[in-house]
Amino acid sequence: MSLHDSASSAAGSSSGSSSSLSSSKPPPSSLQQDIVRHLAGAGYTIRSSDLPQVAQRLERLETAMGSSPADFFQLASDAILYNPSDLASWVDSLLSEFTQLPTCCFEFILAPVDNAWTTAELHEPRVQQNITYEQQSLDRQLTVVTAMEEDSDIRLVHKLMACAECVQRGDFSSATSLIDDMQGLLARVNTVCGIRKVAGHFIDALSRRIFLGIGGGSVDGCGSAFENEILYHHFYEACPYLKFAHFTANQAILEAFDGHDCVHVVDVNLMHGLQWPALIQALALRPGGPPLLRLTGIGSPSPDGRDSLREIGSRLAVLARSVNVRFAFRGVAASRLEDVKPWMLQVNPKEAVAVNSIMQLHCLLISDPTLNSPIETVLNWIRDLNPKILTVVEQEANHNQLDFLDRFTEALYYYSRMFDSLEACRVQPEKALAEIYIQKEIRNVVSCEGSARVERHEPLAKWRRRLSGAGFMSLPLGSNAFKQASMLLTLFSAEGYSVQENDGCLSLGWHSRPLIAASAWQAMPEPGSCVSCLE
Amino acid sequence: MARSNEVNLNECKMVVPLNTWVLISNFKLAYNLLRRPDGTFNRHLAEFLDRKVPANANPVDGVFSFDVLIDRGTSLLSRIYRPATAEEPQPNVAELEKPVTAEVVPVIIFFHGGSFAHSSANSAIYDTLCRRLVGLCKAVVLSVNYRRAPENRYPCAYDDGWTALKWVNSRPWLQSQKDSKVHIYLAGDSSGGNIVHHVALRAMESGTHVLGNILLNPMFGGQERTESEQRLDGKYFVTLRDRDWYWRAYLPEGEDRDHHACNPFGPNGRSLEGIKFPKSLVVVAGLDLIQDWQLAYVEGLKKADQEVKLLYMEQATIGFYLLPNNNHFHTVMDEISKFVGSDC
Repeated sequence: MSLHDSASSAAGSSSGSSSSLSSSKPPPSSLQQDIVRHLAGAGYTIRSSDLPQVAQRLERLETAMGSSPADFFQLASDAILYNPSDLASWVDSLLSEFTQLPTCCFEFILAPVDNAWTTAELHEPRVQQNITYEQQSLDRQLTVVTAMEEDSDIRLVHKLMACAECVQRGDFSSATSLIDDMQGLLARVNTVCGIRKVAGHFIDALSRRIFLGIGGGSVDGCGSAFENEILYHHFYEACPYLKFAHFTANQAILEAFDGHDCVHVVDVNLMHGLQWPALIQALALRPGGPPLLRLTGIGSPSPDGRDSLREIGSRLAVLARSVNVRFAFRGVAASRLEDVKPWMLQVNPKEAVAVNSIMQLHCLLISDPTLNSPIETVLNWIRDLNPKILTVVEQEANHNQLDFLDRFTEALYYYSRMFDSLEACRVQPEKALAEIYIQKEIRNVVSCEGSARVERHEPLAKWRRRLSGAGFMSLPLGSNAFKQASMLLTLFSAEGYSVQENDGCLSLGWHSRPLIAASAWQAMPEPGSCVSCLE
Repeated sequence: MARSNEVNLNECKMVVPLNTWVLISNFKLAYNLLRRPDGTFNRHLAEFLDRKVPANANPVDGVFSFDVLIDRGTSLLSRIYRPATAEEPQPNVAELEKPVTAEVVPVIIFFHGGSFAHSSANSAIYDTLCRRLVGLCKAVVLSVNYRRAPENRYPCAYDDGWTALKWVNSRPWLQSQKDSKVHIYLAGDSSGGNIVHHVALRAMESGTHVLGNILLNPMFGGQERTESEQRLDGKYFVTLRDRDWYWRAYLPEGEDRDHHACNPFGPNGRSLEGIKFPKSLVVVAGLDLIQDWQLAYVEGLKKADQEVKLLYMEQATIGFYLLPNNNHFHTVMDEISKFVGSDC
């Protein structure tokens, strides 16, 4: 931190003069350096050249607030606000919400007052800028929330790390004796909460890696599809992560569908279709009436010959009928997402399309040089559909690192957080089955490699880069979605969950550590030509 | 009314750098959106607007951080900041709670500001400030994520502060080599400064040794309207009305501002004569409307023969210590460093 050379005397700095800024250097040329560094430390991005205008608008807001405080409170409760980090667009959107003055006062062309959404879209290039600037610091992030409540925790963690390190080096005999030690330790301590709870699962996963080898996942089998669905359903009930995913994605989809009479949702993994009843009902209640809703559900072909996709579709159709929403369902059975082609989805050019991916994209991150990258293939066909919105929810974790020890460490802290949060669930068998659901993920992350390892979670910062590079631009999730998510949590009455907003994306976490992140995207009008997404 | 607002805004912009003005004005604006006239608080919007940063076990500028759960029952989290040492520039994640090795290591328990209602330990502005304190004082810093008003009134914040103090005091890994004791300092800004005083009181009452208190623009008040409050009302980002709102939100319902939490040396206050209170460093900004209360606090300490140093920064407004772009900032940081360093 350069403290002394950036100090400027406080007195005598006149308003509007950018020479009152802290930097004594001449205005830098690159966009990133132009961002005021100290404000970045406070969580805000703004270009130094924008400071005077933003100051002016803050003043205007202040005056407006003073003269009509009632309107201001209205704004607070009714307006949907976006991207508080991007100071310039934030202040502009507040002004546009608040004032009904004609456009001559402002530089940007403002949309009608009640459409804050459009205003946010106009500021897209700035949002991209924020993302690029943050990447460097986020890449080096290692977020650890320790629950080291007892001395035995520390011993256990030490041994787990040492064991993982032995495994990485190929020293399986040392690893095995450490496993024996740890099992002894576990037998003596209270495993109800904290890191001890999850330690058992990690010891188990390490054992599998040692004794069954890294294809161990396939020996174990993935469980039958039926089993997996049961576990998924109980995970859904026991904790708010999947509900958050569905709520937040639905909110964004609902907003994207505003004004459209024909809408089409493509769900890249239908599962039980748990997400869709809420959207159907929300569309039914839409002012102006519901659109025609088509839902295309993609899923694996059922091994037992059941057309489970169609069954779910029928159930959803019954619901839609009961709330007077015109509805059509189509199932697309595909064992691999990269095998799906746009023509299979039968998208109509007049429809507004939403593509929805809840924890599916990470499975495509297998990097086999002999294959066409599955993730690129899928993102390409999604973009070819020209969707109005792509909703993406992913685990907020770095479980796809090349280095086994790094991956192991991340996973240990991530899953101990998640297990900790599960303690708040009092219902059985939901809780027990949810734990098994998570345990399978742990096993996959720790004991599998290659094509067997599908749980290749990557953090939001990486997904942002990937999606930008594939021709998508970020659609910020706003205060409305945030509030819905927050309120959802109060239903769980478990202190400890929190929702956070980060550059237009929302994350849900436990004890301040985000565990799942939701974001929304739109296909860029001319793929690849947007300057701001280049690094 | 509008005209005097204009005058205020122009005056204000003359005394702070532009980016400070933008930062604090933005806070002011956001905070106005959050306080409802009926005394309730728009917590969802507050959390949406607050810029937060995660902890980072990888050192950045020589400091790494991690979060700990101090009390499961109240979900009391704290963020710990430690210096990465020359011997171990990249700490092993299994050894975040590795014992401190120096002869004397100050441990600063920090309480963030926000008038009891705003901000968190993981707010970006406070994460930045705590990281600075680590380097400045060669200290370990623990920032307490105390429960906030109006959902949690007095004495929740003090209870959480006391819980954190007990926790810190009982960590073997925080003991200085010299005497196997934890060398504790309490620090805080705004409401955090107020919490420092009250937690120090509890510490003294129970015989826990605190080496020093650092109060940055501490939040105190009283029923009376003082000269500074009248003179500076609305001039430099802060109004009496918002101060009143926050006290109503924190103090028990029905209590007025002469409650001892708000006015520790007032009619319901408690004398500190004869008590061994920690030495105090009190920083007062000359453009802060509540300075008369802060100065009265200093007087109260002096009258009780307690060691106190007052730093009166004439041209400083609230929040001057958030950005390192003014001389007051550097002066105060130097003084803090000396205050903590004099322990050795």
